[in-house]
Amino acid sequence: MKYILLILLSFNLFAADATLKIEKDVEQRTRIALIDASGVVNNTFFKILQSDFKISGHFLVDKTHHKGDLNSNYLLPVVKSKDYVLKYSLSQQTGTKLMIRLLKASDSTEVYKKSYAIPTKNKMPFLAHKAVSDINNVLKYSDISWINRYVVFARYTTPGKSEILLADYTFNYKKVIIKGGLNLFPKWADDKQKNIYYSAYNGLKPVLYKMNIYTGGKEKIISSEGMLVCSDISKNGSKILLTMAPEGQADIFELDVSSKSKRKITNFNGIDVSGKYIDDESRIVFVSNRLGYANIFKKSIHSSSVSQMVYHGRNNNAVDAHGSQIVYSSRESQNTFGSNTFNLYLTSSHGRDTRPLTTTGANQFPRFSTDGSVILYIKHRGAGSSIGYINLASHQSLLFPLSGRKIQSIDW
Amino acid sequence: MIQKSIIMALTLTVIIITGCSQKAPDLNANTGSNNVSDANQIAGETVSIDENAYGNENGANSGTFNSSSDGFQSIYFDFGDYSVSSSMENKIAENTNIVNKHNNQIKLEGNCDEFGTDEYNYALGLKRAKAVKDSLISEGIAASRIVIISYGESNPVCSSPTDSCYARNRRVDLRLVK
Repeated sequence: MKYILLILLSFNLFAADATLKIEKDVEQRTRIALIDASGVVNNTFFKILQSDFKISGHFLVDKTHHKGDLNSNYLLPVVKSKDYVLKYSLSQQTGTKLMIRLLKASDSTEVYKKSYAIPTKNKMPFLAHKAVSDINNVLKYSDISWINRYVVFARYTTPGKSEILLADYTFNYKKVIIKGGLNLFPKWADDKQKNIYYSAYNGLKPVLYKMNIYTGGKEKIISSEGMLVCSDISKNGSKILLTMAPEGQADIFELDVSSKSKRKITNFNGIDVSGKYIDDESRIVFVSNRLGYANIFKKSIHSSSVSQMVYHGRNNNAVDAHGSQIVYSSRESQNTFGSNTFNLYLTSSHGRDTRPLTTTGANQFPRFSTDGSVILYIKHRGAGSSIGYINLASHQSLLFPLSGRKIQSIDW
Repeated sequence: MIQKSIIMALTLTVIIITGCSQKAPDLNANTGSNNVSDANQIAGETVSIDENAYGNENGANSGTFNSSSDGFQSIYFDFGDYSVSSSMENKIAENTNIVNKHNNQIKLEGNCDEFGTDEYNYALGLKRAKAVKDSLISEGIAASRIVIISYGESNPVCSSPTDSCYARNRRVDLRLVK
């Protein structure tokens, strides 16, 4: 009995959802206050700074939007109880400029000072992310540079049409980079985020392109009858996992990008999709209906044996992986139509240490950050949708509202 | 006994929540001070491409995408299913007759309702298109005349939140390739 209680309590403990806030290490996190010295106060920028500090897991940020002077070392008594004070000044008269000063709250000693400038106004959120990530590094905390990255996603516009967009992780910045036609499944092709893969469904056969997001130059990689998706990319970018159907049957293939030679990895007369490299990239996890419903399986690239990974849920149709970590979405209600509960679970390639990450709503499209420390996902609850983030180490979670059109696929 | 177990579990919980301490580092005032702009990596402007201007290959989006065209009849499927039901056999026969009146290739477009996620839904749509292709082949149509593609949930003909509406989206549309 006591072991059952222990397991149940421990299992629920790790559910890090927006509705279940776990304030880990509250006493240990660095307390920081923000003092806005901008000529024109920008509340959105203040909120983005707050989000950045929070999701880092390293800071306990003061919720008060203090106003003050940038260059003075005088600090209000109310902020002297913090560990640090960030003074900043944002200007968007021409482009976007940001100046920051990080002071020790106890004696006003300047710890860090820096200025940032970009020629456009709409990329303002990236300056907040860059500043917080720099402060995080100066204080020698574990890296959070993932907050500087673009998110790329496709969304439906009208029946048979879609567009591909870039966003910052908060979705305060959004830009359409491809519109018109049916262009789907965008995926970052490199760590530097200069190129994406995407599938164009605009002819008789889907075509996979690799496109430079700065020049628009694109290269046709491969085409396939039926469907074609780039599901994952090896660490060095030389190989990609594809779901394609050259003979009308969706299976997972590994393509050598340079030589264009491909290897068929799965061979099943049903549905095999969403291949993701795990461990040392000699194995994959994937979604298959070989048991009659969508579930998560794993196999070696070089052998035919397949192992079931998940033994719960009625429909586990989305998966992502980073090294030995695996996250998947599991349907836990029985409605054929209408709202269903989909929760995210974290497990390992060995199938051990499985734990829930969400507790409410329909949580789908889980995607690991490049360092595996944070998971992005889309949450649908009631009539609203949000983009969510879960910091696996600190259990901090954030939700940003999404409005409008349905997201088809997302990557970051 | 139960009370003791609960106390043990709560103790474990507190230990896990507390974790390791992580103190704010004490740094020198001059560390990291500089005034250079360090945002070059995000300053570059990305592209904005409008593929409407390029046109669409082979008339894939000719404006008749919400149902079968050229006299064909769409084939409908049960939820999550990709087998052609007996109630659709008459439509398969009628579609076969239309195929036999033309020399064109036939394009089969698999579609799904909205209850699935990204890749899986596209594979489900493909299985439906493949099932209709196999039915046409069994009626004597040459496989080489048939092209299949899945549009997943991207091409709904109905958007109301009703069962009958969802059923209309679980379909394969047929068209002549022109």
